[in-house]
Amino acid sequence: MSEQNNAVLPKGVVQEEFNKAVEKFRELLGDENVLVKADQLVPYNKIMMPVENAAHAPSAALTATTVEQVQGVVKICNEHSIPIWTISTGRNFGYGSAAPVARGQVILDLKKMNKIINIDPVMCTALVEPGVTFGQLYDYIEENDLPLMLSFSAPSAIAGPVGNTMDRGVGYTPYGEHFMMQCGMEVVMANGDVYRTGMGGVEGSNTWQIFKWGYGPTLDGMFTQANYGITTKMGFWLMPKPPVFKPFEVIFEDEEDIIEIVDLLRPLRMSGTIPNSVVIANVLWEAGSAHLTRKQYITEPGHTPDEILKKMQDDTGMGAWNLYAALYGTQEQVDVNWKIVSDVFKQHGKGRIVTQEEAGDKQPFKYRAELMSGVPNLQEFGLYNWRGGGGSMWFAPVSEARGSECKKQAALAKGILHKHGLDYVAEFIVAPRDMHHVIDVLYDRTNEEETKRADACFNELLDEFEKEGYAVYRVNTRFQERVAQSYGPVKRDVEHAIKRALDPNNILAPGRSGIDLDTYKKA
Amino acid sequence: MSFPLSSAAAKRILVAGAVLPFALLASAAQAQEDSQWKSGEHLYDSVCGHCHKPEVGVGPVLEGRGLPEVYIKAIVRNGFNAMPAFPASFVDDESIAKVAEYLSTLPAPAAQP
Repeated sequence: MSEQNNAVLPKGVVQEEFNKAVEKFRELLGDENVLVKADQLVPYNKIMMPVENAAHAPSAALTATTVEQVQGVVKICNEHSIPIWTISTGRNFGYGSAAPVARGQVILDLKKMNKIINIDPVMCTALVEPGVTFGQLYDYIEENDLPLMLSFSAPSAIAGPVGNTMDRGVGYTPYGEHFMMQCGMEVVMANGDVYRTGMGGVEGSNTWQIFKWGYGPTLDGMFTQANYGITTKMGFWLMPKPPVFKPFEVIFEDEEDIIEIVDLLRPLRMSGTIPNSVVIANVLWEAGSAHLTRKQYITEPGHTPDEILKKMQDDTGMGAWNLYAALYGTQEQVDVNWKIVSDVFKQHGKGRIVTQEEAGDKQPFKYRAELMSGVPNLQEFGLYNWRGGGGSMWFAPVSEARGSECKKQAALAKGILHKHGLDYVAEFIVAPRDMHHVIDVLYDRTNEEETKRADACFNELLDEFEKEGYAVYRVNTRFQERVAQSYGPVKRDVEHAIKRALDPNNILAPGRSGIDLDTYKKA
Repeated sequence: MSFPLSSAAAKRILVAGAVLPFALLASAAQAQEDSQWKSGEHLYDSVCGHCHKPEVGVGPVLEGRGLPEVYIKAIVRNGFNAMPAFPASFVDDESIAKVAEYLSTLPAPAAQP
């Protein structure tokens, strides 16, 4: 199986045309950076979605390390109508991983373009290339003893800021809203132009990572979750490392408590008393990240019954909801805020407060404390062992940070998941006003029947939430077109008008967020 | 349907990128060196160990199990159920050989409960 190619072609591209493009790619990048053999492409095709690999098989992969090479790639793609799917570190598990949105697209893999261009410990900014991982940044900050703290998603060590921010991912520190803290971006446009946002276009500027908006239209947002350009550099702000970090947990016994938890928490987040992206994890998320597996409790098919969940709580001390938050600052600041926070929960009379002193090195407290202080770990991948078998999709509706809303969404999701024999494994990631209600739709992808159920389940989750006026903030590649429909026809018309203007040949990741000139019909 | 690039755009492709100076402050550009991972141990500590170290337990213990390089490579390249795959751009063949060697030199940990 290691002939010249793997018998997958881009949509609408004949073999001869593809071969011409491949020859040009080789000339531009060197043979070793043009991958067309099946065994070279297999790693890009590993997906957790409920569909066969073939549906998202790439035709080739290219590795580039310079802006000039990326410019060369888009030039060739325009000449031969080759669609490319760009990845940075490509660790987008549950959202499509490294595989293209449409079968046959060529992957532009920027993992090897991995320079940390600048970290400024005075202004607390970073400028990095796409292949830079949080692990690499963490090591750099440690080795150079810089007084800075990272924020990242749970895949931390192996994920990276560019790719994560391009999908508007989140972390768990006070800088957890990653796109909010992003500043300055360099993008290769489909016509080969190199565009810098914000202050980046000003000759001799030293404020690219300092002031976000620049002048006139500010376009960074337009390139996130989109296919209007290829990001080759990104700046972002780093939090100064505080003298004191105080992580804590509050454990709640009952599912219904979510209403009070959220309504108690909101003023604390709104006032900045609790400054970080707090998490409220349900019992099964907690169990998965504590590395319990379903098999330890039950082997019958279907969803895990509530009495088993109760038993798990009794056995382990986990709550129906497990809240993780932290305080940051000087000892005085932390003490003042700790009094405010602990008083709120004590006066309410529900919720067992757990401090770091009490928790010690116990999981999952330990990994939560690490994520909230920018220390990488992959402990949370235990979620994938709950049922095992490599099936996982994130269903992540946006919600008001209002107790009644969170309760309503949790009940709605749980009902639909149970109908399909799956579990409600979820956490709320808490901003002052919004929730990323993150639900891990876990299933055994080695089981064909269960895989079909998971697919039907995800469809129904989208449908039923939509009927209540809810939509997701981000989704896997199998459902990107479907979710685009949730946001209405006018938005899509505008998106396609921009696409036509910036990428008339439709070469940049057609299908990304449902943006595709070949398939989109104006309503 | 396809629009050829205007010749002006084509020219821009040739000249862009070479004319964007910007001041760097304290630190020099820093990338992982040519040898992708310094050693088998470095790769294990930076990537695999975050899941496979006995004290973590996301993935099964690999230390001191005498796993053949060819097996490790197959798992890394294909991924395996809950385990993600890694392209060569992330972990190259040479590093897989090194990590296989490193793992085989470690003592097998005491039996897990």
